[in-house]
Amino acid sequence: MALQDICNFQSVFEDRLTTEYPAVPHGKKIASNYVSGLPFSNNKSLFHFYIPVAEYLDESPIQFGQISTVQNCSAVSSEDPFLTSSSLPTCLPFASSQSVPLPFPMAHGTTTLAFMFQGGVMAAADTRSSCSGLVACPASQKILPIHSHLVGLTSGTSADCALWKRILARELRLYQLRHGRRLSTSGAAKLLSHMLHPFKGTELCVAATLCGWDGGEQKNFVDSTNAKVSLAKDERFSFSQQCSIRKKMNLSGPRLFYVCSDGTRLRGMLFSVGSGSPYAYSILDQGVHWGLTVDEAKSIAREAVYRATYRDAYSGNCVDMYHITSKGWTRRNREDLKEEYYREKERRKHEKTESLKI
Amino acid sequence: MALASVLSGDSADFSFDSSQSFAFGGGPGPRGLGLEGTPEDSLSFSVKNPLCVGDDDGVERKIEFLHGTTTLAFKFQHGVIVAVDSRATAGSYIASQTVKKVIEINPYLLGTMAGGAADCSFWERLLARQCRIYELRNKERISVAAASKLLANMVYQYKGMGLSMGTMVCGWDKRGPGLYYVDSEGNRVCGDLFAVGSGSMYAYGVMDSGVRHDLTVEEACELGRRAIYQATYRDAYSGGQVNLYHVHSEGWTRISQDDVLVLHHQYKDQAMG
Repeated sequence: MALQDICNFQSVFEDRLTTEYPAVPHGKKIASNYVSGLPFSNNKSLFHFYIPVAEYLDESPIQFGQISTVQNCSAVSSEDPFLTSSSLPTCLPFASSQSVPLPFPMAHGTTTLAFMFQGGVMAAADTRSSCSGLVACPASQKILPIHSHLVGLTSGTSADCALWKRILARELRLYQLRHGRRLSTSGAAKLLSHMLHPFKGTELCVAATLCGWDGGEQKNFVDSTNAKVSLAKDERFSFSQQCSIRKKMNLSGPRLFYVCSDGTRLRGMLFSVGSGSPYAYSILDQGVHWGLTVDEAKSIAREAVYRATYRDAYSGNCVDMYHITSKGWTRRNREDLKEEYYREKERRKHEKTESLKI
Repeated sequence: MALASVLSGDSADFSFDSSQSFAFGGGPGPRGLGLEGTPEDSLSFSVKNPLCVGDDDGVERKIEFLHGTTTLAFKFQHGVIVAVDSRATAGSYIASQTVKKVIEINPYLLGTMAGGAADCSFWERLLARQCRIYELRNKERISVAAASKLLANMVYQYKGMGLSMGTMVCGWDKRGPGLYYVDSEGNRVCGDLFAVGSGSMYAYGVMDSGVRHDLTVEEACELGRRAIYQATYRDAYSGGQVNLYHVHSEGWTRISQDDVLVLHHQYKDQAMG
């Protein structure tokens, strides 16, 4: 598999087939095991930790969501030999991530946005990948489907995002096979956040927005929609209140989570991430409310990305849009924003000449 | 220079090094909005600009862009709309919610303030004086281009000494509506649309999508108001009231002053109903 080749997972796979899987952990359990098992304080050990991927996977599969208290102890004790072992050839991704600085310290060069409304979740992103001043790829994909009802918007280092998205997809698939049902978006977000936690403080840079529809039939959702809509209208800006209401009312429906490699995990109704996000936020704040139709939502999402690409140098080229409903995600054709830009320019020129005539 | 000696030394309250600087420049450092915002010691907001060499002799570091405010101005067929918020912050403390960030240079010229309050008001008052002298000498009003040039040249002499000012000079002269952006770095740019301050990015999104040359006065005012409101909604360093001015051929008029909270309820009702 491609993933194996990237990370040298080969040896780990063989190991794992033979070890027993413990009971599937809930979010809290994972956290406690992580904290106990890993040498966080020593930066140097972390550095060696993740570069020699093959070895550390043998010792601490915790990195990839597996719980194994037995292997935990051995991991701690066997760390030291690694420190003294000679420097292994640095993997190319890490070497390049250190020499190419991020454009802004905490802002990733992109614009991605997602919001919830009565018709599901609308996600949109631009398609420009930049590499400190150079447009490395004008047609990259920042919205990565994870499974039929979950889509992830990625922002940060493209390499990190692609890898972690694939790891998450693998973990979710394993969960689905073991339990016969999909993991909820909340669980997926928690899983991702815990997987990323060991890398806190390193240069890993992933800011993902998970948009999904949690299982259950659409009927359940529709029944409680009316009540929800009226409540939503009254308390549009109090997310926490709405969350508790929603929990009481039903467990299925659209979900939106933001997960960041610094440990943030937030649930909300509207997120925009990246250097172009302020421009998008103002458009979204203006227009998004629960009662939007699907077409209105599409046009607002498109306008928000367009405005961000208009002003932000690190966002641009095309816009991708995904719409997630109870039936899964659907993808709209990629649209080149250059057309929109020229249309607007023509319109402005036209307006000016018109008014001068008058 | 006089300004530098006034700013450093005993009047520590107004020095950029101390957190008590009573300025529109707030917590956000030069590195962007994403900054966690906790400098080394809790009280100081002397920001270390990675782009410029730090000064060792106590002269305050430059506070580049991202002054804690939102001001905007745009041209349209009936003149220039100028909209500003009214919050002043000192670090993370909101010093005032009722600051006047538009300076009336003369009955047909306006200047907005972003950056250090002292710098802005001082230099713009100096500009007002220069404009009046020009008018008396030449028996005609000064053009917006000339006024902005005067300001830019005055401030350029202090370049690198720690002035912090990002202003827009707006007016109406023989050539029609005029809008210039002048800052303490020496930039002087003519344009149709500007937003300055930490909330400027939020305002740009709304403005870009709504601005057209053929807006009516009411539509343009509403656009300016909405843009400032959206910026105050997302930016912590902007808030208070929205002050709106309209510059037309007869001079400027003050259109309105709306509290942001009132606007919030108004827009929410609009969206629902």
